[in-house]
Amino acid sequence: MKPNFTQKVTNWGNFPIVEKEMRSEDSFKKIKEFVLSHNEVIARGNGRCYGDASLGENIFSSKKLNKFISFDRINGIIECESGVLLSEVLEISVPQGYFLYVTPGTKFISIGGAIASDVHGKNHHSEGCFSEYVTEFKLMTENGDVITCSREHNTDKFWSTIGGMGLTGIILSAKFKLKNIETAYIRQESIKADNLDEIFRLFEESESWTYTVAWIDCLQKGQNIGRSILMRGEHAFRHELAENEAKSPLVLKKKFSPTVPFYFPNFVLNALTVKLFNFLYYKKQSKKEIKNFVDYETFFYPLDFVNDWNKIYGKSGFIQYQMVIPKETGKEGMKRILETIANSGNGSFLAVLKLFGENNTDAYNSFPFEGYTLALDFKVNSKLKQLVDQLDHIVQEFGGRIYLTKDSMSRSSLTDYLKNVNSSKFVSLQHKRILNNK
Amino acid sequence: MIVLGSTSEIAQAFVEKALQEGERFERIYLFTSNKETTERFARHIDVKFLQQSEIIELDLTKEINYQNFDSVNSSLLFCATGYLGDGTEEGLYDNKNTEKIIDINYSKLVPVINYFAQKFESRRSGTIIGLSSVAGDRGRQSNFIYGSAKAAFTAYLSGLRNYLFEKKVHVLTVKPGFMATKMTEGLPLNPKLTANPKQAAECIYKAFKKQKNVTYVLPIWGVIMMIIRNIPEFIFKKLKL
Repeated sequence: MKPNFTQKVTNWGNFPIVEKEMRSEDSFKKIKEFVLSHNEVIARGNGRCYGDASLGENIFSSKKLNKFISFDRINGIIECESGVLLSEVLEISVPQGYFLYVTPGTKFISIGGAIASDVHGKNHHSEGCFSEYVTEFKLMTENGDVITCSREHNTDKFWSTIGGMGLTGIILSAKFKLKNIETAYIRQESIKADNLDEIFRLFEESESWTYTVAWIDCLQKGQNIGRSILMRGEHAFRHELAENEAKSPLVLKKKFSPTVPFYFPNFVLNALTVKLFNFLYYKKQSKKEIKNFVDYETFFYPLDFVNDWNKIYGKSGFIQYQMVIPKETGKEGMKRILETIANSGNGSFLAVLKLFGENNTDAYNSFPFEGYTLALDFKVNSKLKQLVDQLDHIVQEFGGRIYLTKDSMSRSSLTDYLKNVNSSKFVSLQHKRILNNK
Repeated sequence: MIVLGSTSEIAQAFVEKALQEGERFERIYLFTSNKETTERFARHIDVKFLQQSEIIELDLTKEINYQNFDSVNSSLLFCATGYLGDGTEEGLYDNKNTEKIIDINYSKLVPVINYFAQKFESRRSGTIIGLSSVAGDRGRQSNFIYGSAKAAFTAYLSGLRNYLFEKKVHVLTVKPGFMATKMTEGLPLNPKLTANPKQAAECIYKAFKKQKNVTYVLPIWGVIMMIIRNIPEFIFKKLKL
């Protein structure tokens, strides 16, 4: 039996699927050998991005770079290898009273991926992107050298790597700050909005909240367009909790998490079932406003509760379409986008709206800028490309752009915004596609 | 806890599993021939579980200095030492390869385990967990040097279990079957028959708690190996396994 490192690789959306070489090593020496002996290398974390960003001719998987290095429990600074997942960080930090400053909607992404995508969360308007809290990281460059990048050293590499989609090298380890929490719970308010006007008003009213996000029923038309539920939250203090939770406020009970056992047949998700789901989701909340306490997993990671949930989209997979549109014209742009989706009948199971705050101008490769962002799931089918094209057209008209971490088919004019990442060594299929389609 | 072969992903997953389950050890002795990788693991368990450990060099291809092990004391030994070697035709007729496989999997390893077994015996307590292999259940043309060393190791563990039974020391033999680890990276393994280190650790921890004697990581391997063991030799020798 001779080793064969070629395998089928795909990301969370199961689209596209490629057959490429993928290797994982845990010693710098062996990683260097891999980098030097291959052209076109791209690093990959846990494969939770959606499109083709972490696919390439020769994939280096950071799976074996899965060790913690240090944890300063007094100042809340943790250092770990790049393949460590956010879930693993939370596992040790939450019981110690620390939480991630910034987390996306899944905790199953790697630290390397969080930096390369410069992920954002429900608190972008108040606390920015993941990179704000990264103090330094180690990067393997084209010639196999390992350099330490921070705001003081190798600053050019530091900033180009943040949001740089792996095109500057392989992130090996990172050090970042955590935030203090008193409890593992969130004080949450959910407010129903009848339409787009109302949800935008609610967003602007909620600016003082640390976390805000809205779920939108994107199949509504006419007066109901933008029908949604806004959720806002704050880390709860111990004295706010009920007696039961306040006893051990940093420890959550273990929950059962079901697994989707197989790819659902194609007919399961169609316009009708999506409509029904959205209808039920909206109706589930009978009151206009609910105030309650939920654990952090429910608040931040509702989808992580179901393992392999991507399989419900069937074998053909799905894409996630996330764009940002500048604030001034955001409402009008969103309206046009939602109208287009509703008219196409190609509904999104999950549509999430967020207001981004100001961007960090140093982190020039980061996706977010001040404006409204909408993320949508679409099942891959023959009509999808046409819809994406229509949406791209609107995003372009309004001066927006597309999140590379989720892109697999948008037009290059919306995705070609990275700077200082030109390397002949670190190349992803995504980057090639973007450059070729110019 | 004593770990032989500390860079093994199964060993590391087992250590984490035990610590997660709330087991605490005064010290974990990490025996290894690869200090760099083991140091990463030592730091990792310190950060994650505040677990102290000590790295002790053990290279089974070299002369072993038992004095280095004097201070090592524990009631649990986990042996994950193993070397697959080159199972191809060139590998078979390469004496260096053959010797290395036999040394690491059996001949040099057994005296080391005996050294600690003696300590366990005199304390009249403890558990020894040894990772053997399904390859040791019957010699097959694809890797029978490795398989024969593992067969010997299985027999050794079985005898040791018998010998130590009255001395209140338990011996657990683990036969992992196909594992998705660095040992098998890039090999075409059937995913249905392949377990990952985390699964293996869970199964081994359970078997350890229940004081099982022999365990297959995936139960299906028990069935497969029963069939393979019972194929008559005149048929078996013609098979391409």
